[in-house]
Amino acid sequence: MTAIHADIDALTELRAALTRFRYAQREVAERGGDAIEATRASLEAKASRWRARLEQGRAELEACRDRAAADQDGPLDCSGYARAVGEADERLEHIRHWQQRIDQQVMEFAGAASRFKNLLETDLPRAEERLAAIIVSLHAARGVLPPGS
Amino acid sequence: MSSVYPTSPGPARPDRDGDQQLRLLDDAWEKAVPFWQDDIARQFGTHHWMPLRHESRLYLEALRAMMDLLDAAERDTEQ
Repeated sequence: MTAIHADIDALTELRAALTRFRYAQREVAERGGDAIEATRASLEAKASRWRARLEQGRAELEACRDRAAADQDGPLDCSGYARAVGEADERLEHIRHWQQRIDQQVMEFAGAASRFKNLLETDLPRAEERLAAIIVSLHAARGVLPPGS
Repeated sequence: MSSVYPTSPGPARPDRDGDQQLRLLDDAWEKAVPFWQDDIARQFGTHHWMPLRHESRLYLEALRAMMDLLDAAERDTEQ
């Protein structure tokens, strides 16, 4: 198109950019949701491992204390088992803390995510249609046919 | 919350890709503006462009905060 139609060219490119933006941001939003689910799953897997270690540690500590109570030969040191139980408990609590922080942040994020989804699905296509109509009217006003007509 | 960029190549964070897409759209807008200065352009700016940009910025900032928190949670719970 000639320089006299530079505005039409610029608006056509803007409209194409809006369409690219809509598709690209839709993917961005999907990946954001996937990342949240992946981290939640990862934290749950870590919590599950530490729960298992905690249960095992408690059973070993209890068995050690039983042996210590029944042992007639001398004192039995169970402090290593107690430390392992303490560490597992602490790690599990730490993961739970992160799970709660993420749950809270996800609730805050949900509002912005919902509005953005609405923008991508409703407002943005409307803006693209508006631009398309403007481009058609510019073509008509100058007596030129739009590409593909 | 500050954003820490990884030093090793890894999967790109969606918020950074989203920022990049918004920059590309800004560029397209900036290129169109000199050729489009009438009332219709002003109406489009008020009713479409500004809300689109504002809502996109809000979302991408919220997404960045979310991704920062997810990264921090993963790092801080490494076994």
